[in-house]
Amino acid sequence: MDIMDQKPNKLNILTKRELERQINLQKKKENKDLLSADTEKLGFFETIFAEKQNYIECLLNDSPNLPKSQLPDHFNLVSKEILTLQKYVAASTIFLRNYDLKRCQDILQELTAKAKDYEDEFLPKKKFGFKNKIKQRPSHKNLNGSKYDEVDAVTKPRITEINCGFFNRSNEMLTMANTDIFMKDISVEKLENLSTSIFAENCENCTLVIACQQLRLHNSKNIDIYLHVTSRAIMEDCKGIFVAPYNWKYEGIEDDFQNASLDLTVNNWRCIDDFNWLSEKHSPNWKEIDEKDRIKSWDDI
Amino acid sequence: MGFLTVLKKMKQKEKEMRILMLGLDNAGKTTILKRFNGEPINTISPTLGFNIKTLEHRGFKLNMWDVGGQKSLRSYWRNYFECTDGLIWVVDSADKRRLEDCPNELHVLLKEERLSGATLLIFANKQDLPGACAVEELRDILELDKIKTHHWKIIRCSAVTGENLLDGIDWLINDIAARIFTLD
Repeated sequence: MDIMDQKPNKLNILTKRELERQINLQKKKENKDLLSADTEKLGFFETIFAEKQNYIECLLNDSPNLPKSQLPDHFNLVSKEILTLQKYVAASTIFLRNYDLKRCQDILQELTAKAKDYEDEFLPKKKFGFKNKIKQRPSHKNLNGSKYDEVDAVTKPRITEINCGFFNRSNEMLTMANTDIFMKDISVEKLENLSTSIFAENCENCTLVIACQQLRLHNSKNIDIYLHVTSRAIMEDCKGIFVAPYNWKYEGIEDDFQNASLDLTVNNWRCIDDFNWLSEKHSPNWKEIDEKDRIKSWDDI
Repeated sequence: MGFLTVLKKMKQKEKEMRILMLGLDNAGKTTILKRFNGEPINTISPTLGFNIKTLEHRGFKLNMWDVGGQKSLRSYWRNYFECTDGLIWVVDSADKRRLEDCPNELHVLLKEERLSGATLLIFANKQDLPGACAVEELRDILELDKIKTHHWKIIRCSAVTGENLLDGIDWLINDIAARIFTLD
C-alpha cells in the first residue's frame, strides 16, 4: 500500500525536478546571452565600455594618493582591467562598426599609455634598463605667439595683398574683409567671406562671421560662428564650437551674395558634419547658440 | 593559358576599369567627378565617406571611386585599394601652404602593394585660380621624378572650367588599356 502511494509522489518529484532543471538551464542561458558579446546591442556595449573606461581612469587618477607599497598591485589591477576591456572589445567586433572599433581602440591605447606614464612616474623601476624613454609629443601646438589663421588657398602674402577692408569679390577662392583685425591677438575676429570655400585652421577663442558655400574648420576650439553656408560645413579635431545663423545685415548684402553666387535663402548652418564623430548622436564638439545669447548687432563691434 | 591570361580576357570582355581618386581635402576630387558626369558643381560639400560613379567613356566602363580626403578619413583610404587599375591623385595647386603634406601622403600610397599595378595620374587642379602652382613646380614639390614603380603623368587642369580633364582621363585609360587589355 505504502509503495503504491509513494510511486506517484516520486514521479511528481521527478517531473518537478526536471522542470526546475529546465528553468534553471534557461536562466543560465539567458544570463550567458546577456553577457556574451554576440547578442549585445551597440548601446549596451557603449555603456559598459564607458563604465569600464571610467573605472580605469578613476583607478589611474587614484594612483598618486596611494602608499607606495600598494602601487605594484594597483598597477597590476589597472593593466588587468585594460586587458579585460581589450578582450571585451575584441569579442564585440562582430557588431561594431569600423568607426566605433577605431574609437574604442584609440581610447584603449590612450589608457595604456596613461597607465604606463603613471607607472613610470610613481613607481620607477629599480632594475637596470636602457634609458630609452619615448618622448611625449607636445599635446597641442601653442598658438598664442603666432596666431595663424588662413583662408583657403591663401598664403600669407596674399592676404595682405587683398587687405582692402571689404569684400573681394573678383576671386572665388579668396575673399575676406576686416583683415585689419584679422590675425591679431584679439578675441573677436570678424571675417566676412563671400566665396566658395573657406578653410579655417587653428583658431581659438574667436568669433567668426562667415558666409560661404562650404566651410572647413580644423584644429580649433572655443569659437562662435555666425554662419551662412549654402552647401555644408564640416569640422575636424575641433572642440567647443558654437554655431548660430548668419545675422549680419548691411547695405548691399544682396549684391554681395549674388556676386558670389550664394543663395541668401539657403542656409544650412545647422548641417555640420563632425569628421571625428561618425555617429548618429549629436557631436559633443559643437552646439547651437541659444537665441537669447546671440549677438544681435554687428555694427558696434 | 595561364591564370593571368584568363583574368585579362575577363576584364577585356567587360572593358571595365576601376579608378580610385585620392588627394587632400578640398583638392577637388568630387568636383572633378561631378564635372565628368555633367552634374552641377556648386552644391558640393566636403565628402564624408565616398562617392562612386560609373561612367562610360570611349567604350570603357569606368568605375570611379572618390574617397573623402579629410585627415580623419585618410586612414580608411586603404579599404579602397583592392583591384585598382588607375589612381588619380588630385592636388589643389593653389593651396601652397598645404602642398608640403601632399608628397608624404602620395608616396606612402605608392608603397602600398595593392596599388602596385596601378597607373598614376596627377591632376594639378585649380589652375584657373591666380597664384596656382605651375606643373613643373609641382613636379618638384611632389617629388614625382622619384617614382619608378608606377607609370605616371602630371597634367594641369581645372575642374571648374573643365580644362584638360578629358585629356588626363584619356591618357589614363590608354595606359591602363595597354597594360591589361590588348589595345584594339
